[in-house]
Amino acid sequence: MFRPFADWVASTSLSQTFQNHLWVVPTSQAIHIVCICVLFTSALMINLRLLGVGASGRSISQLTENLVPWMWRALGVLLLTGTVQTIAEPVRQFVTPVFWAKMAMIAMVATMTVAFARKVRADAARWDAAGTRPSAARAFAVGSSLLWIAIIVCGRFIAYTSAFYT
Amino acid sequence: MNLHSILLFLQELPLAAAVRGDNPGTEWLFPIVETCHVLTLTLVFGSIVMVDLRLLGWTSPGTSISRLTRETLPWTWTAWLLAAITGSTLFISKAVTYAGNFEFRMKFVCMALAGVNMLVFHFGAYRTVANWDMGRAPTAARLAGGLSLAFWIAVIFFGRWVGFTT
Repeated sequence: MFRPFADWVASTSLSQTFQNHLWVVPTSQAIHIVCICVLFTSALMINLRLLGVGASGRSISQLTENLVPWMWRALGVLLLTGTVQTIAEPVRQFVTPVFWAKMAMIAMVATMTVAFARKVRADAARWDAAGTRPSAARAFAVGSSLLWIAIIVCGRFIAYTSAFYT
Repeated sequence: MNLHSILLFLQELPLAAAVRGDNPGTEWLFPIVETCHVLTLTLVFGSIVMVDLRLLGWTSPGTSISRLTRETLPWTWTAWLLAAITGSTLFISKAVTYAGNFEFRMKFVCMALAGVNMLVFHFGAYRTVANWDMGRAPTAARLAGGLSLAFWIAVIFFGRWVGFTT
């Protein structure tokens, strides 16, 4: 059902420009990976800290305050480079359900992270002391880590599953 | 035994054939190993960036540099080892092609430079870390952080380009 739309995007002059300049996609992908590194490592560091592993020098609220702004910056660049890649190769992206699963999971994990950061900011003292931390913290840590891993796996598998749908 | 015959020997290993997808049922091995490579390299680069940015003074102000280094280094090395194992597995599938590829060679030149930079930092500026642990790092340390960032970004760029040029 997305095929006609994808074909239209592919025919636009912007998409044609990206397709005709062969360096655009690999360069965009490389920037994409750099930002995934920043985002994924930051997320994992916060999540492990929530589970009581590592980063013992910093409290949860400190760590969140330090890292979450970098996560949003990285996500902004990821959306931008992702859009460039989608405009350059719309058919490859839109036909595979893996792409849509990835988008759904990004929306999910971003919402979770917004809610988490807001809760930590609202009541830092409660989050910083191990004993009073809400029990949902562990669920968030495990859930969001798994989501980020799944998002990265899906990202790589878009390339390998598209062929089955075209 | 010259380099070429070693490369040919590696390429003819049963594992190499499986990664190439030569045998029925192994078609998905390359994407799976590649995805593991991506997951592990995100942690290598992400954990290095965290220290580099702290050295440059762009993030985590007031965090102890020696503590951050101590906490991230085991993750960096573990992830690097796993990335090296998955990377070698990908390499042997087309050893001759990869070894002759310009981007592939550049990737390893940059990684070697990053390694030298790390050693110079560790046995140079880092020895006086006690004097600037919580504050602004001296010029030599900031330079090491900046160079590390540049070399590792180059590693990722060349790595991604290998996929488009082989």
